[in-house]
Amino acid sequence: MRNLLLILVIFACICAAGCISDPYAEIDWPLTLVGADGNEKVMTVSEIASLPSVNGNGYAVSTVGIKYGPYNITGVPLIELLNQVGGVHEGQTVHVSAADGYLWVFSYEQLLGEDLLCLDANLKEMKNPATMTPILMYAADGAPYPYDDGGPLRVATMTAEPDVITEGSLWVKWVDRIEIHG
Amino acid sequence: MDKRGYLAIGFLIILFTAGSGCISDEHTVVKVVPAGSLLLPLAEIEQEYEAIHPDIDIQIEGHGSIQAIRQVTDLHRPIDLIVVADESLIPDMMYREGPNGVNYTDWYTPFARNEMVLAFTNASAYADEITTENWHSILSREDVKVGFSNPTLDAAGYRALLVMMLAEEQLDVPGLFGSVIGESFNPDLIINKTDGDMTLELPVLLRPEGGSKVLIRDASMFLMSLLESGGIDYAFDYKSVAIGQGLRYVELQPEVNLGDEAYASVYDDAVVYLGFQRFATIGNKRTGLPVVYAATIPYDAPEREEAEKFLTFMLDAFAEGGTGYPAPL
Repeated sequence: MRNLLLILVIFACICAAGCISDPYAEIDWPLTLVGADGNEKVMTVSEIASLPSVNGNGYAVSTVGIKYGPYNITGVPLIELLNQVGGVHEGQTVHVSAADGYLWVFSYEQLLGEDLLCLDANLKEMKNPATMTPILMYAADGAPYPYDDGGPLRVATMTAEPDVITEGSLWVKWVDRIEIHG
Repeated sequence: MDKRGYLAIGFLIILFTAGSGCISDEHTVVKVVPAGSLLLPLAEIEQEYEAIHPDIDIQIEGHGSIQAIRQVTDLHRPIDLIVVADESLIPDMMYREGPNGVNYTDWYTPFARNEMVLAFTNASAYADEITTENWHSILSREDVKVGFSNPTLDAAGYRALLVMMLAEEQLDVPGLFGSVIGESFNPDLIINKTDGDMTLELPVLLRPEGGSKVLIRDASMFLMSLLESGGIDYAFDYKSVAIGQGLRYVELQPEVNLGDEAYASVYDDAVVYLGFQRFATIGNKRTGLPVVYAATIPYDAPEREEAEKFLTFMLDAFAEGGTGYPAPL
C-alpha cells in the first residue's frame, strides 16, 4: 500500500512538473469559426485537439501529380467541428481560409464524404469509392503537424482504407478561419 | 619519421580535406517552378542540361501558373526561375514590392504559345466523324460526354469555357454554349451578352448534375485519365498536352482556340468570373487572351547566375521544339 501511494505521488509530481504535457499548448495559432448566423468562436489548437478526434489514412496528390503521404493522420471531422458554431446544414457552403490568403469552398455533401474523388496507386479513379472524411488535421504520424507542411491546422481527406489517394486541392494548408455561408 | 607516421599524416590530410568540403559531390541546386503543362518538355530539358552541367541540379516543382507565382510572392520561397502558361500573370502578380522593398520582378520573356484543342481517343463517340468544321455539332449531341478541368484550379478549365463562349458567337451557333455545357448545371450556366461583350459568372460550387454530359476534374492529368478510361468522349486541353499524351485531337478555329495573336481583340470579348476568389492576391476575373508562355527570374533568386544560364538553354530548347512542346513564338 505504501509503495502504491509512493508511485501515485511520484506520478502526480511528474504531471505537475509538466513532464506529461500537452504538445499543442505552446502552438500560437488561433482558429476562427464563424456560424451561419455570424457568431464567431476562436479556438486554440490545444482546444481543437481536446475534441473527440478521428484517426486514419491520409494520402493526397497535387494537380500536377505530386503525391503527398501516405500519413497516419489525426483530426476533427469538419462537420463535427462546425457544431461549435451551430452546425452546417444542407444547402450551406463552408469557406475555409488560410493565413497565406488562400480560400477553398466545400459543399455540405463534401463534408459528409460525398462528391469527392479517390484514386488508386496509379492515379486512376477508383470505381468503388472509399469512405472519405474531410477533417481538420492537427497531427500526422503521431506528432503535431509541422508548419512547413501546412500545419498546425490543415484540411485533409481521411480514408479508412490505406493506399487511397485523394484530391490535394482540398487539403488547405495553414487554416485560420472557417465560415459557414448560406 | 617511419612509414607508419607518414601513413598516419597522409590519412589525416585526406580526412581533413574531405571534412572541409574540398572533396565534395554537392551540386548547385537551381529551383524551377513551371506550369503543369510544361512538365513533360521540362523533364527532357532538365536531363539534357544536367548531362552537360553535372555540377548543377535542376529541381523542377510543377504547379498551376498562379500557384507557381505565389511560391514567391505569397509564400516567399527561394525560387530561381518561374515559368507560367499565361504571360499576363507575371506583371499582374509580380510587378509589385516584396518585403524587402523591391519588386518581385520587373521583366519577363514570352517564349511559346499554345492553343486549345479537343482531345479524344479511338473509343470516343463519333471519333471518325469529328472535324474542325463540325466539332461543335458533335459535342452538342446528347450521347457525347465532354470534360474540362476545374476553372478555379486550372487555367485550361476557364479557357475551355472561354472557347465555348467564343464559339457560340464567332461560329454563329445560337444556344451552343447551353447545349454543350450550360444545361448540365442547375441552374443553367448562362452567358450575359451586352454590346458584343460576353460574361459568364460561375456559381460558388461548380457541379454538373448527375448523369449530365459534362464532367469536371481538378486538372488536366485527371481529365486525360478519364478520357483514356472512356469516362468522357472529348476533353478540352492544350494542343501540346494532347500531343504529349499521345492522344488524337481536333483543332478548333483560330477565332476561338485562344492560340492566334491576330484574334486577341476577339478573344477579349469573353470574360469568365470564377465563383469565388481563391487567392487574396489575384481577383476572380479571367479574360480571353492568347495562350502565351513566359518566364522570369525573381529578384531574390538564390542562384540568379545559374538560373540565367538555364533560362537561355531552356529558351533555345523551346525554340527548337519537340514532341509535347508548346509552339515557339
